Amino acid sequence: MAYGIKRGIRFQILSDEDLDRIHWSTLHILEKIGVQVDSPACRKLLKDNGCVVDESTRIAKMPSHLIEEALVKKKTSITLAGRNPKYDAKLDMNHSHITANGNGAVTVDFETGERRGSTKQDVANSSRIIDALENVHIHWPMVSSTDQDPAAVHLHDLDASLNNTEKHVMYETGVTLSDAKHLTEMGYVAAGGEKEYRNRPITSCLQCTYAPLQHDAGVMDASLHFAEAGVPLVFFGMPQPGATGPATLVGSLAVGNAEVLSALTMIQLATPGAAVIYGMGNAPLDMRTTIRAGGSPEHAISSAMATELAHYYGMPSCVGVSATAKVPGDQSVLEYYTGCVGPLLAGADLMCGVGLLEDSSCLHYEEIVMDNEVVGAIKRLIRGEWADDDTIPLDVIEKVGVGKNYLAQRHTVDHLKSEHFMPTLIDRRSYDAWSTSGSKSLRDSARDRVKAILKDHKVPPLDAEKQKKINSIIESTKKGLWGGESKTY
Amino acid sequence: MEDAVTRLKNAVINYEMETIADLAKKALAEGVDPLVAIEKGLAEGIKVVGERFGKGEIYLPELVMGAEAMKAALAVLEPAVPSGKHRASAGLVVIGTVQDDIHEIGKNLVATMLSANGFEVVDLGVNVASTEFTKKVEELKPKIVAMSALMTTTMPRMAEVIGPIKKKSIPIKALIGGAPVTDVYAREIGAEGYSGDASSAVDVAKKLVG
Ligand code: B12
Repeated sequence: MAYGIKRGIRFQILSDEDLDRIHWSTLHILEKIGVQVDSPACRKLLKDNGCVVDESTRIAKMPSHLIEEALVKKKTSITLAGRNPKYDAKLDMNHSHITANGNGAVTVDFETGERRGSTKQDVANSSRIIDALENVHIHWPMVSSTDQDPAAVHLHDLDASLNNTEKHVMYETGVTLSDAKHLTEMGYVAAGGEKEYRNRPITSCLQCTYAPLQHDAGVMDASLHFAEAGVPLVFFGMPQPGATGPATLVGSLAVGNAEVLSALTMIQLATPGAAVIYGMGNAPLDMRTTIRAGGSPEHAISSAMATELAHYYGMPSCVGVSATAKVPGDQSVLEYYTGCVGPLLAGADLMCGVGLLEDSSCLHYEEIVMDNEVVGAIKRLIRGEWADDDTIPLDVIEKVGVGKNYLAQRHTVDHLKSEHFMPTLIDRRSYDAWSTSGSKSLRDSARDRVKAILKDHKVPPLDAEKQKKINSIIESTKKGLWGGESKTY
Repeated sequence: MEDAVTRLKNAVINYEMETIADLAKKALAEGVDPLVAIEKGLAEGIKVVGERFGKGEIYLPELVMGAEAMKAALAVLEPAVPSGKHRASAGLVVIGTVQDDIHEIGKNLVATMLSANGFEVVDLGVNVASTEFTKKVEELKPKIVAMSALMTTTMPRMAEVIGPIKKKSIPIKALIGGAPVTDVYAREIGAEGYSGDASSAVDVAKKLVG
């Protein structure tokens, strides 16, 4: 059975004319306004390929044929492989995959409730939780190992992830060339070699573009390395409507699209055929509190429209969701539900990601399990319905006839699991049954499931030989405080 | 008919970004003292805007447009201030996002709120080299050096700036912030001020200079 959520329903928000117009506007932006490219290597690449590059402003204007060519050269069939092949996520435009959210600096301690810096142990624990959950398909290091050497936080994050889940690991911490080299190497080691990795990449990297219309030097230099090394990339635009993008959602989509397509173009010029996923997460800045409104309806609809645009280009989408809630509970569920249901109804291929609060900043273990339930409900919503002999069983309807019931029919048992969502946390018992077993909230039940997973769920770690190599990669960054080179302009 | 100074004040409150420069020129032509125009006009106006934003009566774009209007008028009025005189300010602040970090929205908000509350702000931008911070501090002698870091990996850059400044015993206070930064971390690296949002950043900054 294919991995991921099979989808049969698709809502359409933008018409073909709308999409054409967004595409045309994007080409206009890239040709007439340009993008700022801070990486000298990328500027050279663009200049050599006919772009007008101004070295003093670092702005590159890109002719539309370059963009169109990149869209032709890109890799179309991408599989994000798992350490265990049963978790291979094939981005086949037919399945949706949910990812964990990533790199929160803060964790609320599961035992003490204390709000504190995230640790490597938190990365390990959350990885194990993700491994156990049925509705989260791709892993991210959910928090940062702030108790480790600052130069190697990202490597510790990946180490703890690879050892505690067999699912594919996507990270977003390859922001300098040396980061990229180390992270790539760790992926090679875990996969059993470069050749094995290139065949089945078990890690990938998400890179943010810098709204409006800019590309960070370190991020792009790292990306050139990743592409060359066979590490799949997501370019993730995130203009915030009203702040770093136009207040209109479609306007911000056009700005983000120009960023993503220009990044795609640079990558395809350097490494034709490199695997690039189309990413976007445009949440507006809340203009009263100045907090980014993750999980808002605008975030959801922007992610849904970005998915339509990605599919228009024949690319899989990776679109954003998050929540501004401070504690797991009513608000977090409302935000994650809103944020996930829009894009998933529009056919998002990757939804990133669930489980963090305070707009991707803070981890409560319970939230991961609660969001797993949110996705479970949506999974049913997007499965699709159809009318055939099996879904309209005229023979059974005739057999049961008038005034009786369907409980004792084979047809009922056969279709129960596929037709009806069986919640793990939602409590549908009677008031009496619920109150005599402790009047538990959804969060309480989530806590119970977290406890059970941490107690019983085992994940085979990497073998000793691989671990030794990974340790020595981490060791090698000890030299400088930041491990990496500083950026050049 | 309002006098020129009140007109300038109201032009900031109503964020007349496009036309306020002409008002400022007209005020100078009418013989208004530029210092009075700044202190009783612009500064009073931006104070009202800042307060309204704090109370949730207006939204962020209105705050930013108020600050832009003030900037446009300052560009006309400041050069007219006789040399030797200075406009009253709550203090000079040098602000920037630290090296290897390009997150700017939070930093910009803090800068806007500080200038809306009477501070003079020099914004060094994003990805500011630690050595650039120390250089600017020695050159401009601000009362506060304010730094923003949004990533766990770039937070240590703030210590890298504070260290040398302390060593040279430059009389300056460090104010830090950004999503992963905490008051505990601020104390750890010897920063005198920390704040989790732009409005309270103003209160902390006032305490630091007061
Ligand atoms: C928007 C955003 C971006 C935008 C920034 C656009 C811009 N023009 O600034 C873009 C897309 C460019 C971006 C890029 C990246 N980002 Co980013 N980004 C965010 C996000 C979602 C919101 C930040 C924001 O603008 N918030 C709104 C503002 C108003 O809030 P704020 O910055 O916190 O500021 C307030 C307070 O903190 C305080 N404050 C801030 N500064 C200061 C300074 C002083 C002196 C004081 C007193 C107070 C203060 O007051 C402000 C106003 O109230 C955060 C997640 C989050 N929720 O914080 C991730 C986040 C910061 N990013 C992250 C990452 C990893 C990246 C990338 C590395 C991703 C990549 N692989 O490309 C790159 C960074 C590259 C680089 N070299 O810097 C991570 C950091 C993880 C970690 N543990 O370190 C975060 C936490 C997301 C996550 N959980 O994964 N990002």
